[in-house]
Amino acid sequence: MALPNSDLEINRSGVQSPVAAVQQFIAAYPIHKNYYVRIFVQAILTIWAVLTVTFFLVRQMPGNPIDVLIEQILTQEGISYQEAYDRVAASFNFDPDATMLDQYVDYVGDLLRLDLGTSITSPGTRIIDEIARFLPWTIFAVGSGFLISFVLGIILGMMMAYYRDSALDHTLSLVSSFFTGVPNYIWGLLIIIGPGISWNWFDVGAARGTYDPGLTPGLNAAFIGSAIEHALLPIITYVLATLGSWMLSMKSSTTGVLNDDYVNVAEARGLKDRRIITAYVGRNAMLPLFAQLSISIGFVLGSGVVIEEIFVYWGFGHYLFQAITVRDYTSVQGAVLILSSTFVFSNLFADLTYGLLDPRVRISGEK
Amino acid sequence: MSEQAHEAVLRVEDLSIVYRTKRGDVKATSQASFDLHPGEALALIGESGSGKTTISLALIRKLPKNAVITSGHIHYQRDGSVQDVLKLSNRQLREFRWKDCAMVFQGAQNAFNPVLKVRRQFEDTAQSHGWTDKAAIRERALKLLELVRLDPERVYDAYPHELSGGMKQRTLLALGVLLNPQIVILDEPTTALDILTQRAIIDVLNDMQRQLRFSIIFISHDLSLAAEMADTVATVYAGEIVEIGPVNDIFYRSLHPYTYGLLTSVPTLGHMQDHLQSIPGSPPNLINPPAGCKFHPRCGFATDACKKEDPPLEQDIGTHLAACWHKDRLLESRKEPV
Repeated sequence: MALPNSDLEINRSGVQSPVAAVQQFIAAYPIHKNYYVRIFVQAILTIWAVLTVTFFLVRQMPGNPIDVLIEQILTQEGISYQEAYDRVAASFNFDPDATMLDQYVDYVGDLLRLDLGTSITSPGTRIIDEIARFLPWTIFAVGSGFLISFVLGIILGMMMAYYRDSALDHTLSLVSSFFTGVPNYIWGLLIIIGPGISWNWFDVGAARGTYDPGLTPGLNAAFIGSAIEHALLPIITYVLATLGSWMLSMKSSTTGVLNDDYVNVAEARGLKDRRIITAYVGRNAMLPLFAQLSISIGFVLGSGVVIEEIFVYWGFGHYLFQAITVRDYTSVQGAVLILSSTFVFSNLFADLTYGLLDPRVRISGEK
Repeated sequence: MSEQAHEAVLRVEDLSIVYRTKRGDVKATSQASFDLHPGEALALIGESGSGKTTISLALIRKLPKNAVITSGHIHYQRDGSVQDVLKLSNRQLREFRWKDCAMVFQGAQNAFNPVLKVRRQFEDTAQSHGWTDKAAIRERALKLLELVRLDPERVYDAYPHELSGGMKQRTLLALGVLLNPQIVILDEPTTALDILTQRAIIDVLNDMQRQLRFSIIFISHDLSLAAEMADTVATVYAGEIVEIGPVNDIFYRSLHPYTYGLLTSVPTLGHMQDHLQSIPGSPPNLINPPAGCKFHPRCGFATDACKKEDPPLEQDIGTHLAACWHKDRLLESRKEPV
């Protein structure tokens, strides 16, 4: 921590500007060179950029919350435009005449105090509460779908690589290419139209919502069963839509690893097959997929908006969709902030944990 | 010959291997036979593509999927009982590998699983062969790592990428003898290493063999390495063993023009060499090998007999065998030993 001589001279003179103090501090403690500090600051800057763009973008959408509601009141009650405007403006927590910059400064100021603000269209409702109400359902559905799809994809992909050029490989390749090619909202529609309406396997109407009405949320069998039942269709959709790409990635990755010397040597070492498949082939083949995993978590959360709308699953996507429909700017901002933070932090998490899986990229203390 | 067969740890008889390819069968090994005795170091020398590696891979049945063993036996003897390696069940084969016969592959750069520590890979090897006492494994591993002149504690707890190429090669050698095998196969053990590291590896190998008394089969195109390490040298040409014998006989009294060609194509220290000869032509197509002696298109001694009939691998003196119709002419033509 010894300071360079030049700094000592400044100290002796007794005069030191704040800028020099900062420079001195950074010279002594080069935190900007610390890997963890750097990627964390990068993450925060990314999120800030997204929320800024979101802030201005939602306000550029045609219509504003007041107009949307005025139109509704006008068609319903047949009163004059001015009357409707006054009523709506009075009930809203939103001043359409404030400049955008003022609003932005207010918004960012609130965020720095970890306050997401309140809804515009239903004043008094805290956005954080709304997100806490809707988000767990989505995490449950997307999380389970993702886990099932990832595990299944890894296993099937490895099987394809082990039995490559067999009938099994060709069949699975075809199936997985097809699964990957069809977008998830088409899967959602197909499930509703096929099993739901044409074959009547389940009651499309009863699948709405996140659990059967009348049940008390809690740790009881009836509620948990119902919650799983309601999440089943979205989960199946997420699995179908993402399984194929996991399978294909895992297949190509495993095929590469199988040609690696260390697998060959492991066989020559007389290791047991199970050990070779898990620790030598599987673990190495999964490395590139792990990086993909964090990226696709963000994508799936985002694409949940459409899927939840299709199945009328009242999760986070449904909330975001509703907020956009009524132009509830603050709610949209809150939801997008959560979405982008999830994306950025899952990437960050992957960066930080990748070293646990692959010692070659572990960050040494010096970097 | 039959006397020695009883004490041979490995006896390869009439081994033929073909690779099935779209363009036809590649006859990678034809009727190879040799014995390996306890503590003996056998060198297989020859050009790239001559079939040296195919022979050694067959010994642990680690041939590529398209390879078919069309004839032959590989008799392996341990503690007085003899087994045919080619008839082992999958389970027996797995146990045979490394515990009885370890193979140190060409280029150790990627021989270790990059995500596991060296320690874990030693333990994996031992545990797969029923040895589960980690403290004992560690003790033996550290002893072996010291034998290959590494810093045992540091290497044992390192990840492979933390080791240099020469260190990996030495670590692999230590791993190779972890289970005290009777046979260690070394495929180009010093290729891709710098000259000083090569020197160190050779010294280490000599040390290890002296202390641990295993038999070595090593594959090389490096004749100086063969001269230094081997007791017996076998020359492989176009999938056939064309000459085999004690190292001095091969180097100072070679009886096959191909072996002689290999020797004269290497510069030597010590005496002036007027001509450094190369062998004209290139190795034959093994899908349609030439009739008769496969070397005749490149051979300065070839006559009509060579084109018609393949010479048998015949005994000259003692245990020196060569497959050539013109051994005498070759010997006469030599003015000075190489």
